[in-house]
Amino acid sequence: MTTAAQHTYDSYEDLVEDYFERGWTDGLPVMPPTPDKVTAFLDGAGLSGDEVLGTVPTREVTCTAEQAAANAVMAGCLPEYFPTVVAAVRAHLHPKGNCHSTTGTLSGAAQAVIINGPVRNELGVASGAGCFGPGFRANATIGRALRLVIRNVCRGIPGFLDRASFSTPARYTFCFGENEEVSDWEPLHVQRGLSPEQSGVTVHSLMKMVEATDFTSRTAEAVCETLVRDIRANGVAGDSWLGEDGNLVIVIGHEHHRFFLEEGWSKADIQQYLWPRLNAPATSATDRMARIGKPEGILIVAAGGAGMGASWLLLPHLALAITEPIL
Amino acid sequence: MELEWAGVPSVAIVHEEMRGSAQAIARVSGCPDYEFLAANYPWTPTAIWSKEECLELAEIMAPKVLAALTGQS
Repeated sequence: MTTAAQHTYDSYEDLVEDYFERGWTDGLPVMPPTPDKVTAFLDGAGLSGDEVLGTVPTREVTCTAEQAAANAVMAGCLPEYFPTVVAAVRAHLHPKGNCHSTTGTLSGAAQAVIINGPVRNELGVASGAGCFGPGFRANATIGRALRLVIRNVCRGIPGFLDRASFSTPARYTFCFGENEEVSDWEPLHVQRGLSPEQSGVTVHSLMKMVEATDFTSRTAEAVCETLVRDIRANGVAGDSWLGEDGNLVIVIGHEHHRFFLEEGWSKADIQQYLWPRLNAPATSATDRMARIGKPEGILIVAAGGAGMGASWLLLPHLALAITEPIL
Repeated sequence: MELEWAGVPSVAIVHEEMRGSAQAIARVSGCPDYEFLAANYPWTPTAIWSKEECLELAEIMAPKVLAALTGQS
């Protein structure tokens, strides 16, 4: 059952052009959110249309499941993706996700959607080669669905409540899975309290993403020193409102990951190595304290393909990374 | 392959991670059966190796290069 206003068009092209005119897209064509499709998405997730997924009090916005479903259809999702979209929307709208700030900021913060658990393989979520980029329907459309919710439901429209000076291509879509099969590292969602049999979504709002390139290190410790150097050079945003639970996401690339595996380093070992070094006092303008309240606030994720000696730093905006189960 | 076309016997060494790309290039270049020698881990795919790593790899690869050039591979 859908309750939204309905519009009728003579053709798909007419719908797409009207949606552009109304400002309901991210600048790319969308799929028509027909009542049948929206209902199928809701039914598949076992949700009623009026179920509230979250609110944005500062914008007097309430996001319902029906609104999320319509935007997921528009983004090009398949029905089976919708529970993952719902979890991402819930995570984004969590109070400590600070969505008003992270989508309105001058800095153009983006939302990384990180997927864990069995659902990755069921939906075909890419976590290996090219996983940050185009070519994977689940990655592309789940991330895009969240961004369309931000735009069409939460009013994050450039020049209006989205005040980004430049914004970023990552705001079209940014979604990838953790490569859980490449090692015995504890998956992110398990570290965050879910069971391995569950699937989960972690939404992390990032001020900027930096490639920590290192072709020459051959040990786990040396790779960690590169990470410390690049994190401290770029800085980590923080706010006392977030308390001691602030996060930083480090996506460990394949060529770096293997050094950790060879030496038997766990994610916890990396966290324990990095934490005191990140929190050490500044020594210069390019070597600043990167304040993270707890070692476990450093979120380690394995992803990416072979070849490039690089890991990625997803440096936070003023928000916590929020993990929600996919139900 | 360009060296081969210029009449200079050559052997290409690629990393295992790049084998697919190298074979594709060979195919579109009209040499689908061109044989490659492949380095593998622990040598990194990007070939930014230390002097010691280069020497270790050279010791392994040199006999294979010789065999390929003399048709004994």
